Amino acid sequence: MRPENYQVVSLPNSDEYELFIGPNHPGIEGNYAFKLKLDGDRVISGKADAGYLHRGFEKLMEGRLWIQNLAIVPRICVPDPVPMEVVYSLTVEDIEKTEVPLRAQWIRVMQLELSRIASHLFTFGGHAATTGMYTPSYWGVADRDLALDLFEELTGGRVYHIYNIPGGVRRDIPNGFLDRLSDYLDYLQTRQNDYDNLLFTNQVFVKRARDIGVLNQEQALEWGVTGPNLRATGLAFDVRRDDPYLIYEQLDFDIPVQSAGDCLSRILVRRDELFQSVRILRQIIKHLPSVKGPVRSPIPNPLAWNVAKGESYCRVESSKGELAYYTVSDGGDKPYRVHVRGASSMHAVQVLENMSVGQRIEDVAQIMFSLDACPPEVDR
Amino acid sequence: MKCDEINAWLDALLSEINEIEVTRKSERRVRVDVPASSLPALLELLKGKASYVHLSAISCVDWPGDEEFELVYHCWSYEAKSLLSAHTRIPRNSAEEFAHYVSVYDIYKPAAFFERDIYEMFGVYFESSPYMEKFILTEWNGPPPMRKDFDAEAYVNDTFNWADYHPQWLQDIEEEGGGIAIRPEDIRL
Amino acid sequence: MKKIKYDDLGSVLNPLKNLQFFARKPVTEPLGPRPAAEIYRGFHLNDMEKCIGCSTCQKICDNAAITMVKIPHLKEDPVNGIRNLRPAIDYGRCCWCALCVDICPVGAIELSREYVHTCNGDEVDSYFVLPQEKGMHGTFEEKGWTKTETNDLLDRKRLPMGEMTPDERGDNFDEIVNGFTPEQAILEASRCVQCGMCHDSCPTHMHAPEYIRAIWKGNVEEAVEWMYESNPFSHVCGRVCTHRCESACSLNQAGLPQGSEPIAIRWLKRYAMDAVPHERIKEIAARKKTDQKTGQKIAVIGAGPAGLTAAFDLVKQGHEVQVYEALAKAGGMTRYGIPYYRLPDDMLDRDVDVIVSMGVSIQYNIRIGKDISMEQLHKDYDAVILAIGLQSGRSTRIPGSEHEDVHSAVELLRRIGSVRDDMNTAEDLDFKVPHSAVVIGGGNVAMDIGRSLARYQKQQYNQVNMTITAIDALENFPADDVEIKESLEEGITIIPSRGPQEVVLENGKIKALKTWRVESVFDADGRFAPQYDESDEQLYDVEMVVEAIGQMAEMELLGEQLTEQLEWQRGRLKVAEDGATSVDWLWSAGDCVNGPDVVHAVADGHRVAESINKAFSVQR
Repeated sequence: MRPENYQVVSLPNSDEYELFIGPNHPGIEGNYAFKLKLDGDRVISGKADAGYLHRGFEKLMEGRLWIQNLAIVPRICVPDPVPMEVVYSLTVEDIEKTEVPLRAQWIRVMQLELSRIASHLFTFGGHAATTGMYTPSYWGVADRDLALDLFEELTGGRVYHIYNIPGGVRRDIPNGFLDRLSDYLDYLQTRQNDYDNLLFTNQVFVKRARDIGVLNQEQALEWGVTGPNLRATGLAFDVRRDDPYLIYEQLDFDIPVQSAGDCLSRILVRRDELFQSVRILRQIIKHLPSVKGPVRSPIPNPLAWNVAKGESYCRVESSKGELAYYTVSDGGDKPYRVHVRGASSMHAVQVLENMSVGQRIEDVAQIMFSLDACPPEVDR
Repeated sequence: MKCDEINAWLDALLSEINEIEVTRKSERRVRVDVPASSLPALLELLKGKASYVHLSAISCVDWPGDEEFELVYHCWSYEAKSLLSAHTRIPRNSAEEFAHYVSVYDIYKPAAFFERDIYEMFGVYFESSPYMEKFILTEWNGPPPMRKDFDAEAYVNDTFNWADYHPQWLQDIEEEGGGIAIRPEDIRL
Repeated sequence: MKKIKYDDLGSVLNPLKNLQFFARKPVTEPLGPRPAAEIYRGFHLNDMEKCIGCSTCQKICDNAAITMVKIPHLKEDPVNGIRNLRPAIDYGRCCWCALCVDICPVGAIELSREYVHTCNGDEVDSYFVLPQEKGMHGTFEEKGWTKTETNDLLDRKRLPMGEMTPDERGDNFDEIVNGFTPEQAILEASRCVQCGMCHDSCPTHMHAPEYIRAIWKGNVEEAVEWMYESNPFSHVCGRVCTHRCESACSLNQAGLPQGSEPIAIRWLKRYAMDAVPHERIKEIAARKKTDQKTGQKIAVIGAGPAGLTAAFDLVKQGHEVQVYEALAKAGGMTRYGIPYYRLPDDMLDRDVDVIVSMGVSIQYNIRIGKDISMEQLHKDYDAVILAIGLQSGRSTRIPGSEHEDVHSAVELLRRIGSVRDDMNTAEDLDFKVPHSAVVIGGGNVAMDIGRSLARYQKQQYNQVNMTITAIDALENFPADDVEIKESLEEGITIIPSRGPQEVVLENGKIKALKTWRVESVFDADGRFAPQYDESDEQLYDVEMVVEAIGQMAEMELLGEQLTEQLEWQRGRLKVAEDGATSVDWLWSAGDCVNGPDVVHAVADGHRVAESINKAFSVQR
């Protein structure tokens, strides 16, 4: 809401007061407001207020050629853009019944996992910052930047890669890329101790995060929570494992689980997941050179490409949870409808509103960040 | 409970509902077409008896030619590892008057988010949904923008101005007798 | 990986372990932009020489960031598919997706590794850039994202056209080309980038982008409607047009990493015309006809493409048109010059029928100058169009060329075409099919007569003994490449770079054709002055010699008085741009003005009709 449109709410005869977190607040990865009603330092109710990042992408996509939308979709989630590109391409391929060459599938998984690492590093920093620790956020962003260097080398872009295309990926990997990826993974593993010391086994942080913002499994299922937040409640559900796409079935990885469902569990799940991604990438580095062949099956001239009539609902596991696109084609050269089911759309709104009730004001920011909500996924 | 058992059970369940059409698209994807009147009952059964406890999304598609909205409820079963998409159609009504349907919030809590979104973007009012108010488009007073009859590009062109550049190189070319020949808005495909 | 248990409380001392960082070497980053990755998507580069101004980049741009700017000093060459438009980028809108690079038909636009640009508020104009080879700031940075075979977005290969094999077609006149099926046509049409180079290069400016798009959408009737905007000979042109459109096609530009074939525009036209029922085509063509009658009368001499196109246009405008044709059927050279296997006569009949159905009246077997004089036409009509084509063949005038078995190609083709519509048997021909023959000339007419005679030879003697020889080197033959290829496939011998010297006669019959090897065709000034190597002499033993070295108009019909009155230029009638002669009631159009080409003749017909229409409206 624009400031000039805001009317001061007076709450007479009580100690209650309103406090706005956001729309610019380090507790969340984007512009997003959370309006609290407080009594002293206890939260009486919280109200999520989205729309600051609404760019009408779903509407825009209906007015653009199938391939032009590739430049839009990564913008829906800045910290973790690759799943957006991949899942959009997957829906189009599903409707068109396009075979994606195996090599392209491996390259896609490589990007997806690298993107997950970048996103989780970002979250570590952000989460720590909400507890007053700023060093991990510098580290997280700096180490994420090294992943962005790799993306730049692979795709030509640091943040918006626009690298996946229905039918595969736009170019093959550059020479020596896998070596540099391998170096990066080595580096990340040497950093594990640093992060553990600084954050995950730092008693100050552990005590601060434990038992805060508890979401039990029953609530999580009732409210449709997915991703690391669900796994932190003890349910080992992961789209990569349970509804596999691309070549995930051929990969060997664990699904990290915690059972307490609090802020600490959530960040520990992410920590373990990051190193599972490292494990996956190691397998890819080993296997990719032996997967020969093209990286793209040709699509028709994009200026005159009528995608077959049909609809497809495809899901991937993004760093935030279950990300899905529902794409409908009426047989035309533009999508008839693209519905983006943002991975954060559950835990950024209703779950957060419910969880904040009864919390203390100093914990709200940590709860927000521990859920790893991505506002542009809500706004689209 | 085994996946096969659930699937068998599901088939038995689905046969109980009138006018239902079931298409198995793949191992993990089922499409169900159901009349609007039977949909809540179907979801009730799916959640209560067939382990489809996770409502992944509700998608809305506008079909002005048919004067209908299509609502798609994507439900996931953690046990059967299968995604069931229940499609239904409701009358569209004109832009001034909202289309109406019932909320499934009492079955699936996540529905509240999607129903509010569809209410805002398409103008479908969900009876007894907890939050039928503005969320994303707080300061928007126009028609529900995701309806096909709202032309976003025309709105943008009417509301905003194109940047008016006139750099030196362009002035030089104009002096030579050339200049801007095709503006981007002239050839949008 | 080290496990951390949830219950592990950790230690307050753990973070202190990171004090070891004081002992590590700090990371130092230099000031200034760091070098970007090899395929970085930075600002645009555009090779101004390579860029053809097709504006395909503008169409794919998903942010409407590209404006096409006309730059007058650059080359504008519609025949070769080059425009002087160049893309200018609005960096307030560009999102560096590089789809423009991936789609560019010629690979001119690329991205650099340069990525820093900033300015003060009053220099906002610096965000609107005309990319050149030197990059955003005039200092070349290395290339970043460029086109490779992998990221090229266009479909470069044309759909193969089904056609008869040389064995199947060698002894008959059935049409060689099968034509597209609907599925093939839609696929082929989908390759088009809608640049409109074809429209610009076409003599009659056919709306090819529009009809290709209509075919792609599956709407063949709309396609036919677009065709009738500019070409009433679409059946004919769909088969035998010289298709300059395809030469100018953006996808036909050289210099691509993977080669590229133009859209089969001619075959698409053929497909759409064949796909719509004939009666429906008539209705579509009649849509633009006015109900009003102007009362003006026009005579057209010659029912070929030029004359009938003019007649079609003039009838549409409400004039009354009478066409006089010396031969028994309409079509001119398209009927009597082009063999059936390239253009079946019933297809030509359909085009003519549409024109007649519009209200054009044609009188056959009337030879102007003999049956009706020009003076009479002048008296009876408000305007006269001379569209007589080039009906007589030129002769080499070498010794022996006056022999009765030395024929002109056009005359021989006319004799063949007059006998049977489908040409398919030599039975009623008024000459004997030679066991062996040689054709002099390297153009399409030479191929037409050579291939026709070869078919009769195959029918009658079961073997082909046909030679085509010309003064040009093979790569300079005026004939279409496909004609040469198919001639060779059909067993015809082609001997290039030979100059005919004499038709050797023996006992009143032809014995052989004598040729010398050509050393050069043109002199230093580019004039036609062939030099021969007399020591390299060849004799071809043949029964018949056919000359196909060019055609002339038969202007005798004008009569002495009118010939005197008219202005001439080097033996040719002097005709203004719009077809008007120096006499105010006489216009001239078609091959007799421009030289042989169907689509040119059609264009000419339109031009003359417009000119006459204008002249009439001035009178009114």
